[in-house]
Amino acid sequence: MTMSTFISGEALAPVLAALNRLSRRDFLRFAGVATAVPLVGLGNARAALPPGVQFLSSDEADVFTRLAEVVLPVAGTTLAPWTRDGLLQTLDAALLAGMEPHILAGLKGGVAYFNDGPVARFGKRFTALGDAEATQFVDAWGDAKEVPQRGLTMGLKKLVQLSYWANPASWAPLGYDGPVSARMGLPRLGNAPLPQ
Amino acid sequence: MTTTIPLAVPKQGLPLTQASDITQNQLTLQADAVVVGSGAGGAIAAYELARAGKKVIVLEAGPYVPSEKFAEMLAVAMGTLYQDHGGQSNMNGDIAILQGACVGGSTVVNAALCFRTPDYYLQLWGREHGLTNLTPEVMKPYFEKVEAHLHIREVTPSETSPGAIRIAKGLHKLGLPEGKARRNIKDCVNSGFCFSGCATDRKQSMLVTYLPWAVACGAAIYADTRVTQVLSADGKATGVRAEVIDPATGQKKADMQVNAPIVVLAAGPVQTPVLLFRSGLANSSGQVGKNFACHPTLSVTAVFDEEVRDFHGATHSLYMDRNTLPEQGGYLLLNAIQEPVEAAFQAEPGTGKPYMAYMRGYKNTLRLISLIHDKNVGEVRWVDGHKEIHYSVDDEDFEAMKKGLVTTCEVLFAAGAKKLLLPTSQQSEVASAADVARVIGGLKNEPARYKYTSFHPQGTCRMGADPTRSVVNPHGETHDVKKLYVVDASLLPTSIGYNPSETVYALASYISDQIVRSDR
Repeated sequence: MTMSTFISGEALAPVLAALNRLSRRDFLRFAGVATAVPLVGLGNARAALPPGVQFLSSDEADVFTRLAEVVLPVAGTTLAPWTRDGLLQTLDAALLAGMEPHILAGLKGGVAYFNDGPVARFGKRFTALGDAEATQFVDAWGDAKEVPQRGLTMGLKKLVQLSYWANPASWAPLGYDGPVSARMGLPRLGNAPLPQ
Repeated sequence: MTTTIPLAVPKQGLPLTQASDITQNQLTLQADAVVVGSGAGGAIAAYELARAGKKVIVLEAGPYVPSEKFAEMLAVAMGTLYQDHGGQSNMNGDIAILQGACVGGSTVVNAALCFRTPDYYLQLWGREHGLTNLTPEVMKPYFEKVEAHLHIREVTPSETSPGAIRIAKGLHKLGLPEGKARRNIKDCVNSGFCFSGCATDRKQSMLVTYLPWAVACGAAIYADTRVTQVLSADGKATGVRAEVIDPATGQKKADMQVNAPIVVLAAGPVQTPVLLFRSGLANSSGQVGKNFACHPTLSVTAVFDEEVRDFHGATHSLYMDRNTLPEQGGYLLLNAIQEPVEAAFQAEPGTGKPYMAYMRGYKNTLRLISLIHDKNVGEVRWVDGHKEIHYSVDDEDFEAMKKGLVTTCEVLFAAGAKKLLLPTSQQSEVASAADVARVIGGLKNEPARYKYTSFHPQGTCRMGADPTRSVVNPHGETHDVKKLYVVDASLLPTSIGYNPSETVYALASYISDQIVRSDR
């Protein structure tokens, strides 16, 4: 599936507008950073968490929320439930806060491009898609011929995945027991002596 | 009669100066040698030069994070210990290029796996790059020295993991050799958190070895201090300019200048060329930033019917290197423990319910990594005040990766895996051993198609005898600027197909000896 089969006529306009807000270099750069997403220390982030998100607009928050609903369905499973506020706060404070300003700007353009992506095929934006359509769209872009679509989809999925699994509360249902040294009282060896 | 005062190494922690200790807005310091970076190369150079009686100042851009603050959570470590909070990548965005960015550098967050530089490469470097001084005979005592200093040993039988035990069975079933890892770790507790920093100081990183030894010999270390320019006059290095940045606010706290007749660069294969670009130095060859390689890796996830619980153990304990030299295939297999946050994005079983089902089965999975020897086809650039890493996996290298993936899949099925998941952008799995050749054979080298990880950037200030083809001479000094040295993985003229940490340890020791000798 190519961009031309995805997009035609008037539907092309918002996509091109989104793309035009980015230089190609910045767009690919975003894709890179989003794939290898930065993680500001979660411990610190939680301790200093602001009352509200600082780096997301409400439209972007809606895209990430919808993506998380599609990528991280926990209903009917033993997995830990997540909330919109908690997930977005982690995303904002632990991931987006670590991005350089020009990368964050690229991300914002990429989120808009992603949200507009389904318009040609489904007649509505990503945030308005039903579960089945949204899942189909995400899988299609993950296998797209267009490099930015693949990179963007991998990157955005990774952001919401990390926002969930970085939280220790998500580990217990997996059977994973987390850090061990403090729990087991393992002593620190300290510095090695000078070589003789 | 002279009295020898015993040098004191603190039992725990590292005496140094951080941004929070700085009260002036301008500092001017004098030293015999200033070392830029405190990782593998910088720490060794600092100690060796200080031990030889020189007044040494080490400037580290990253923060000082003592081991008692290591949280044993990769997500936290990425934010506090890694370059760009773990977000450094190539321009295509499909290779996460991970480097430490803290006092101790990548030695704090690597898996401590050590290999001597194969004779194959030392001889190749002699033939093709004029490094006839780096013979196996010359380098042997340097390998022996760093192995003794860093407690580099083969894993004991107890230093393994549930995943490694299964992989070993797969290797044996196929008649493939099981390499037992050699690591700079003492009394490993098998926590499996090497990539998050060793909270109990078992890993003999620079944080608990060469850096405290350097301080004991009189070196001074400044954390939170980013060097912005190398200074020179009349073709000789004269010092550096730097900025002390408050890590809490990101704001500059002080300007610093260190005047020193010896400058040693060890900022790593991304930042060292950037610093030379910003300084406008040492690039008459045009090779600064060129020849970037990074040993791309792909991780295959094996799903078993029964629980594996590959949660803890030695992070890396086995490898398979029958095919590692280029003529033999060009790939190396490594086991690796991964915590959920990493497992969460290393496989693509399909969006939504298939993905969450995969994660629910995390305890039934294990991973095997294929690392390739790659060509030096990339480049680090400094553009509009930002670094850029231009690198795409070469087509021939991708074929080596496919060979590695075929062997990886065969080993995992021989180990009893029910199915395998590939690190691709689209849903992909290998359903059976009979399917391996078809699925892997069908993979194409495309950007943003695979989820690569690299821990081994290298090659951006390569060493060689010809000043028109290399940045650094065979003794570690730049061709263009006297008394300006490089001691990090930027030096490597080719990638070596194995974890390069011991190569850097040995080269830094060798070059430190050259510095001391030339300064007598």
